[in-house]
Amino acid sequence: MLITVEKLSKIFKSYERGNTFGEAFKSLFIRKPIYINALKEISFSIQSGELVGFLGPNGAGKSTTLKILTGILYPSSGKVDIMGYTPWKHRKKYVAKIGAVFGQKSQLLWDIPPIDAFYLNKAIYSISEREFKKTMNDLVELLNVEDLIRKPTRLLSLGERMKCEFIMAMLHKPEIVFLDEPTIGLDVIAKDRIRKFILEMNREGVTFILTTHDLGDVEHLARRVIVVNHGEIVFDNSINTLRNHLGVKKIIAVSTQRPLPDLALPGINITNQISDYKLELELDLSVLELNKFIALVNKSSTINDLSVQEPPIENVIKELYEFK
Amino acid sequence: MISNIRIHLQGIKTALASRMAYRGDFFMSIIIMLFEEMLIPLITILVYHNGASLPGWGIYEVLLIQSIFLLARGIAFPFFFGIVWNTIERVREGVFDLLLIKPKSVLFLAIVTGFDSEDLGKLVGGITLFTLAVSRIPTPGVLEWVQFAVLFFIALLVLFGFALILAGLGIVWIGNFRVYEIFFTVTNFGMYPASLFSKGLQTLITLIIPIAILGYIPATVLLGRPAAGTLGAVAASIAFFSLSIWFWYWMQKKYTSAGG
Repeated sequence: MLITVEKLSKIFKSYERGNTFGEAFKSLFIRKPIYINALKEISFSIQSGELVGFLGPNGAGKSTTLKILTGILYPSSGKVDIMGYTPWKHRKKYVAKIGAVFGQKSQLLWDIPPIDAFYLNKAIYSISEREFKKTMNDLVELLNVEDLIRKPTRLLSLGERMKCEFIMAMLHKPEIVFLDEPTIGLDVIAKDRIRKFILEMNREGVTFILTTHDLGDVEHLARRVIVVNHGEIVFDNSINTLRNHLGVKKIIAVSTQRPLPDLALPGINITNQISDYKLELELDLSVLELNKFIALVNKSSTINDLSVQEPPIENVIKELYEFK
Repeated sequence: MISNIRIHLQGIKTALASRMAYRGDFFMSIIIMLFEEMLIPLITILVYHNGASLPGWGIYEVLLIQSIFLLARGIAFPFFFGIVWNTIERVREGVFDLLLIKPKSVLFLAIVTGFDSEDLGKLVGGITLFTLAVSRIPTPGVLEWVQFAVLFFIALLVLFGFALILAGLGIVWIGNFRVYEIFFTVTNFGMYPASLFSKGLQTLITLIIPIAILGYIPATVLLGRPAAGTLGAVAASIAFFSLSIWFWYWMQKKYTSAGG
């Protein structure tokens, strides 16, 4: 296993401040501590070359997990073994082998071109000039940013900056890359470019751990999904299992030549009755098979058009996020 | 070691390039910083030219103390004191994390990325005033210069200690730039001959918080009359520096990062 996490817990200590002036004044002298269980003994493991999506609602504990795995935070208890290192104990040796891209925290320097920040990383990671130039040129070509790396960062668009953030994170050829909302705020074209880059790097053997609120990222990238809620893992399996988590369902849109029959049957959930000839529904295949449904409708009303789609992953995620 | 020097030079180069992106502001800041630093020596000159004085101390002796103090700050502020604003800003904005994911000491990276080119004005002011003051006092011998070099190095260690304590406070005392006011208020005692103060205050600034070593004590060796308690101040400075290192690492362990 590349990453093994056992019974990882993190408790944050905070102070109650109150919302009235009196309470705020009192808190200047007497503060009541509050203990927040951000992580409650979570365990999981990740193999080399995996691309894992780490999901959860705001405050679920996914960023805390990521920060412990990157050596930023100390846990309250538990064990983490990544490539033989304990991140918070062997931080310097360990972080030399990992990369990280934070969608909301830039490693570039605002007033100067990205290439200057790349050179600072070259010095920090002790990359030889030859190796640095080769890796940088390869990444620049792959992300098509030849003309951008010499412009001041502040003149670049968000998508262009994010491409440069990826170069910054990959220059030292990390074995594992942690991505925290890497496509936040990007347009569809920029998202697509970044996703293709991640997949390309993953094909070359880099392990990625991705936290995001963008389910498009998860659907396009992750083969395995871990969902965290209230500091606990509530789901850990493949993306396909996640889709079927609420049962094997399909979204069906059907239009017919004659009025539709009464479809108030077990396994059918009508979501949008557009007219007597056209409707949208959710079909639970474990109750009613697709061919039987088609035969039933065709026999009484003759199908004009029919489309079958996977249910949106949002539904499953919403259900998991609402888990108490 | 060579790798660290290379990183430091690259950090300085990057910070300078970053600051020079706004040329007008860059030069103005250096000039303003120079004038700001020269304010107290100018007041000293004004006081002496109006017939007043600090009892037992000639104008160039006082200027020597103040120039050593400014020279020490002139080296500290651009080259390592930047860890204070760098840490406070990074912790407040949640980007202190970015130092922790690099394979180097966080303290070293905070110094490298905290190089403050504007404060080079302080250095220019310190060098100018020091050259002027030294040229007006009896020429010190080689031994005095060696003693001065050692004490000046210790003064830099004390300033580094202050920087570590203030930056450490910045980790838990989020976004509080008032720490600079604490620093300036406390260290300004170092700009005057300690012998002017009460015995209690002298003990405090020599043996407890060794501010006297920032200007007064190194100046007395150059003047050929080493201050009483110099060795005690050296020991206190080393203890202060050791304590500040421990404090920094203790605070770093307490870092909780910003919400994600």
